[in-house]
Amino acid sequence: MSDRVAGLIFLVLSIWYGVTAGNYEASFGDPLGPAAFPQMLAAPAGLFSLYMILRPDPDPEWVAGAPAVRQLATLAVLVAYAFLLEDLGFVLATALGVALLGRLLGSGWGKSAVSGVVMSVGLFVVFDNLLGLPLPLYPGIMG
Amino acid sequence: MDILSSLAHGFSVAVTPTNLAFAVFGCFLGTIIGALPGIGPVNGVAILIPLAFALQLDPTTVLILMSCIYYGCTYGGRIASIMLNIPGDASSVMATLDGHPMAKAGKASEALAISAVASFIGSTVATIGLTLFAPLLAKAAIYFGPSDYFALYILAFVMIGGITGANPSKTLLAAFLGLIIGTVGLDPGTGVARYTLGSFNLYDGFDPIIAIVGLFAISEVLVYLETSNHATGTLVPMGRAVPRLRDMLPGTGAAFRGSLIGFISGILPGAGASQGAFMAYVIERRVSNKDNTFGKGDPRGLAAPEAGDNAAAGGALIPMLTLGIPGSGTTAVMLALLISLNVQPGPMLFERQPEMVWGLIASLYIANVVLLVMNIPLVGLFTRMLSMPQWILMPFIIMVSFLGVYSISHSTFDLLVMIGVGIFGYLLRKIDISLVPVVLGLLLGAEMENSLRRTLSISGGDFAILFQSSIAVGLYLVTFFVLVAAFTVAFRDRGRAAIDQGSSPISKP
Repeated sequence: MSDRVAGLIFLVLSIWYGVTAGNYEASFGDPLGPAAFPQMLAAPAGLFSLYMILRPDPDPEWVAGAPAVRQLATLAVLVAYAFLLEDLGFVLATALGVALLGRLLGSGWGKSAVSGVVMSVGLFVVFDNLLGLPLPLYPGIMG
Repeated sequence: MDILSSLAHGFSVAVTPTNLAFAVFGCFLGTIIGALPGIGPVNGVAILIPLAFALQLDPTTVLILMSCIYYGCTYGGRIASIMLNIPGDASSVMATLDGHPMAKAGKASEALAISAVASFIGSTVATIGLTLFAPLLAKAAIYFGPSDYFALYILAFVMIGGITGANPSKTLLAAFLGLIIGTVGLDPGTGVARYTLGSFNLYDGFDPIIAIVGLFAISEVLVYLETSNHATGTLVPMGRAVPRLRDMLPGTGAAFRGSLIGFISGILPGAGASQGAFMAYVIERRVSNKDNTFGKGDPRGLAAPEAGDNAAAGGALIPMLTLGIPGSGTTAVMLALLISLNVQPGPMLFERQPEMVWGLIASLYIANVVLLVMNIPLVGLFTRMLSMPQWILMPFIIMVSFLGVYSISHSTFDLLVMIGVGIFGYLLRKIDISLVPVVLGLLLGAEMENSLRRTLSISGGDFAILFQSSIAVGLYLVTFFVLVAAFTVAFRDRGRAAIDQGSSPISKP
């Protein structure tokens, strides 16, 4: 079933990809133009997707329950980190991120908090001070 | 001797203090990355590339650093295999078979020493092979025209599809997905914006480096989170800290045999180090397993796959440097690095930037000696690192990935792309679609389209030109046979699996 769903998504994507390519035109340049290569990719990609729908492999074991919740929570932390990195500044955002991730990976609050603080300060010192990669130090609102 | 003088020149590049320091640092870092289960060479190199890039080091230095990390990984992978019975990376699986039984029998120190020597032999054979064959292949490749390159790219994808995946049609689909993702952005030939969905952020397309970090590092974390109870394994006591010389000698012959097998498997695109180690073990068992000691701690059963693994890793550098076609996941990632440094691998690399190529080759010789020294007396240090808890290691990997990607562009959008690509990679891995062809497609797509378009501008749009060069026709013939062989094997296995139900396919990253 998983293969059928994935195959269907890829098939739709390939068709859309091939059809959209038809719109790309250039009046100059080489004889092939920008449309031909994508069209050449779309056809076999669509065929292989179709094959996946017709001859699917057995389903993998999808995660459920607590591990799935942990995966989603981890992704939420990562997305939040991406958005908050510049607003909170590197040290604060990283300390929070590492602490939460550590907690999600099964460590206690105390240990996670310590590793968050140590890692964020350590990474900042190594990368900003020693290696010269500029990182946002202060929270963005403080200017 | 042309090669000797080039190599001498290479050593003069490699022994500058900066390059030497980065080589030693790379060896050390690589051994750690290889040793820690949960972070393999592909992830390790992928995560470090953006950083190397952001530090604006000299391209030669970056290449030396990354290759030493790469070599270091192949040395380090065996440590966890032997001490914990958990392979440090995919290509070290075979080292658990005889390495761990040896360690449990109280010969941990001997097992580590034997495998260090085997790694050294494997890597040295591969480096000598690289020195001898790479310039030859580069010379031959000069006769390649654009249509031949197009044929070569097709062969590379089919080889990867034929050898890596259990299901060749899925691997080929993966390659096409990569090629499709690679076409997003401004068309280099005409400047037309393709598949950007009106977003300016996509005009430059997907940065392969960001995509690679997401595909490998983020998806790895998601895979790790799937299971709540991890086999942590218990460290076997080390025994003697510094092994005696005569403990290192058994298995030397097996190591040489394994090296040759691994080297050949490394050169073939798509076979890679796991295959090299596997073949070396299987063949060594067939040759030497007279008293039925294999699997119970036979030193030859440890030395052969370990040498094969390292030789394959070195051999994989040859097609990457000379043809621009990587033979393994990690070399694919290194190709991404070269392209971002504006270095186009291929035959012209040897002509235009000899100091880079020969500096690299010379530093690999140095790396081998450094790694042998590091891995015999200092192995206790690396062993102690195996007990680092995952709740420190995983967040560290994630944060270094974010840091690297952020330092390229300082853009939140790129971080989100990295996470998105990571989720995509995780889903692909779940349905058994290999990620390496996706990366290859993404990397080689632009160059492949470029060679096709250059070919057709020569002929004015006539597709017959694709089959006019004899090199191209030869490559298409090989492609055809590989395809037929891959699908025959796949159908036979599928038929067999249908007969004896219950054997689940082993998923590969």
